[in-house]
Amino acid sequence: MPINRRDFFALLGGVKPITPNQTVAEDFSPRSPELHVLSRLTWGVTPSDVANIQQMGIEGYIEWQLNPESIPDPRIDDFMSKRQVLSMSTTQLRQIADEQYGFVISNMLWARLYRATYSERQLYERMVEFWTDHFNIPLQDYLTEKMIDDREVIRKHALGNFRELLFASAQSPAMLMYLDNDVSDKEHPNENYARELMELHTLGVNGGYTEQDVVEVARALTGWTIEYGRDDMFVFDMNRHDTGEKTVLGVTLPAGRGIEDGLQVLDILAYHPSTARFIAQKLCRRFIADFPPDSIVQSTAEVFFTTGGDIRATMRHLLLSDEFMNAYGQKFRRPLDFVIGTLRALRDGIDVDNIYVFIEPLEGMGQVPYAWNPPNGYPDVAIAWLNTNGLLYRWNLGLNMALAGEGYLQGIVLNLDAVIPQATTVGELVDIAAERILTVSLPADLRQLFVNLLNRDGDETALVDDRLRRSYLPSLVGLMIASPQFQWL
Amino acid sequence: MSITRRQFLQTGAVGGVLGVSQNLFPRWMPRMAFGQAGSRERDVMVVIFNRGGMDGLNAVVPFGEGAGYYDKRPTIAIGEPDGTDNTAINLNDFFGLHPRLRPLKDIYDAGALSIIHGVGSPDPSRSHFEAMEFMERGIPGDKMTATGWVARHLATASWQNNSPFRAVGMGTMLPASLRGEISALAMRSIADFHLGGRQEQLAQVQKTLSGLYRVETPTDILSGQAAQVFNTMSQLEDLANQYYEPEYGAEYPDSEFGRGLRQIAQLIKADMGLEIACVDSGGWDTHDGQGSVDGEMAFLLDDFARGLAAFYADMQDHMSRVTVVSMSEFGRTSSENASGGTDHGRASVMFVMGGASTGGVYADWRGLSPDALDEGDLAVTTDYRDILAELLIKRVKNPLVDQIFPNHTVNLHNIFVE
Repeated sequence: MPINRRDFFALLGGVKPITPNQTVAEDFSPRSPELHVLSRLTWGVTPSDVANIQQMGIEGYIEWQLNPESIPDPRIDDFMSKRQVLSMSTTQLRQIADEQYGFVISNMLWARLYRATYSERQLYERMVEFWTDHFNIPLQDYLTEKMIDDREVIRKHALGNFRELLFASAQSPAMLMYLDNDVSDKEHPNENYARELMELHTLGVNGGYTEQDVVEVARALTGWTIEYGRDDMFVFDMNRHDTGEKTVLGVTLPAGRGIEDGLQVLDILAYHPSTARFIAQKLCRRFIADFPPDSIVQSTAEVFFTTGGDIRATMRHLLLSDEFMNAYGQKFRRPLDFVIGTLRALRDGIDVDNIYVFIEPLEGMGQVPYAWNPPNGYPDVAIAWLNTNGLLYRWNLGLNMALAGEGYLQGIVLNLDAVIPQATTVGELVDIAAERILTVSLPADLRQLFVNLLNRDGDETALVDDRLRRSYLPSLVGLMIASPQFQWL
Repeated sequence: MSITRRQFLQTGAVGGVLGVSQNLFPRWMPRMAFGQAGSRERDVMVVIFNRGGMDGLNAVVPFGEGAGYYDKRPTIAIGEPDGTDNTAINLNDFFGLHPRLRPLKDIYDAGALSIIHGVGSPDPSRSHFEAMEFMERGIPGDKMTATGWVARHLATASWQNNSPFRAVGMGTMLPASLRGEISALAMRSIADFHLGGRQEQLAQVQKTLSGLYRVETPTDILSGQAAQVFNTMSQLEDLANQYYEPEYGAEYPDSEFGRGLRQIAQLIKADMGLEIACVDSGGWDTHDGQGSVDGEMAFLLDDFARGLAAFYADMQDHMSRVTVVSMSEFGRTSSENASGGTDHGRASVMFVMGGASTGGVYADWRGLSPDALDEGDLAVTTDYRDILAELLIKRVKNPLVDQIFPNHTVNLHNIFVE
């Protein structure tokens, strides 16, 4: 049985479960299975997503999204062609970044928001998010290197093969610098990367390695460094490499070898059962629930293991499972997801010219893209995000954003009439707005709250005149974005 | 049986918000008795977490070890005190402060700063995330208990306090120490803690929101947190509009840490029922380019010391009932690495600041000789829970430390006066 929010509450530990209240479950039931699937695969459901899944069916839609290379993406192609800084080499980037750090970093942040908002390859962008957290590297300290890492490691392999992804990451200058392997040598092996490689990238903290394994892996990876100049590529430096014999997870690496030590370590880790389990656990947590049922973690791990780390096959299994289909209302949107969900909800009427309107609240909620400093990536459980500070920021972003059409937010143009079609009665307006903004059906008592907002007598048959619409539509839309139904997926 | 905060919310206090009155934020949680918080009976605790693993050996330098310290750190060691700004600041002829901790020296000399060296968690994990979780939950090695030590203290305290400000985490996320039955407030900015949108519809918007979140009958964590937001906005209505002017010329550093301490001072002075505030000081994971007198760690120490000193100056009329305590998940390797930094080690330092601290350096010091070290690094000879337990017993007056730190036998080290 999937764990619901009340169980989650109990899992806080020592917290007395609250008496079950039937209305709470009803608060989060999806309007259809299709909308549940869309709410998890996309960054926010738009009318064209609904049209696509209705035409293709659920399985067809999932398969379509699992093959992003076959999905045309003209809007993103156009965006990228206009922002050449996003396609530059390390050397080119470094020349620009030295003088225009702010320009480069804002392009990178813009690209993150823009792609998640406008790309047709929505699941792919979700996978990019997942691996960006998994192989976290903060942008502010490694700007040019992380931009290359994003392109050549994360985006290149997001739905590919895990072993290839891991190898690319291990040889990525950004990772080599961030976790200090570039300066590790036989006299002073630096354990930073070796430890996080096993704890965070592959086996997991309980994956069965010892402190001695950390030391041995660090030794095996000595000499994996960067050739500075010439685009700062990865290079293996035999002079820095510890050629002595090592033992990693019970496997002896014979003395006298070079880069083979590190390559063998990565193979051992990529194909280790603990890695399959750990990655499956994290994928299930991302796409199903904070505490996913063990059955799905187990079967997902098996697919990952038997396919040699085929990410696409692993995701296909996960997304077609009953556990996934039954998991509605169990993921609390993270701040970035909330912000992009807001943008997508307003997509038909919004034109954004000023990215900082979104970066500031993301900072206030604690999830500016690429700004998480420790190597474990942004947390992916509700308990980390569900607090008073984050809630108030969400409410205010919704309420303020809906007013953008009146010039409250510089750099944003919003035409709410393009988002919410005309309605004759108050009840009709509430229903249309709910359909456009929310994926779940509103229980009658919550629907009535919106009716009351628009009509003091709570009369849903009251007519909507132009004055009422102009005055109250921003609050109506803002409140829907602020509602619990918009926070849980 | 005493009423918990959540039961209190359920019994109708929140209901007032639904009958919106003329006031935008009706004081539906009227001037309540804020328990004994803010009284002279118990200290307000300010808990600082130095995230990333603070290098205790360069923060509080054991220069008295001589070659045992200096040979391990050829490029990053802090020199023996010679009275200049480029060497350690002598404390007791054996330990000295990093020169960037200079602002703490006056407080130390006044007897209001205690330093505990060789302190840490008995669990040997050198994973940041595991070590932080263990330390903040207060049960090293136990992965089953999800509540934090601060939360268990609040839950076991004999007194009640319904203020939303009873426990506050300054920042975007709630620290693990505050997770538990008593709902703690996460707040980044006092001044920003109010509702946006169309202001002339604020009362209606608020009414709709509280209905949507079912704050009248909180049934899950989301509605509980939402209720607390409304509660807090109502209480902060006045404070949020005031510009806060620190006293006695105190100047907080303009950092997340400095701003956090500054707002904690504001809340304590406003007497809003604050018992515990948590604030982070991050970035201590100095694997690379740690530096010596200058450099990355010097920068962090500067921010840390200026923040503490500003708080001490600003709060000097209140420090007899305020205790500040800092901790870090682990210390760092006793030897520097190839990149002029240090890797994850074992013991670090804690700082205790307040009128009730006994002052001085406390350490069960075994030295830096090879057999005294724990796998090459400074061994944990004092359990951090002893310090927190003593604080809870003597200053906060919660004797139930066996429930807050289960399976731990507390040793008192005379860090606090009764």
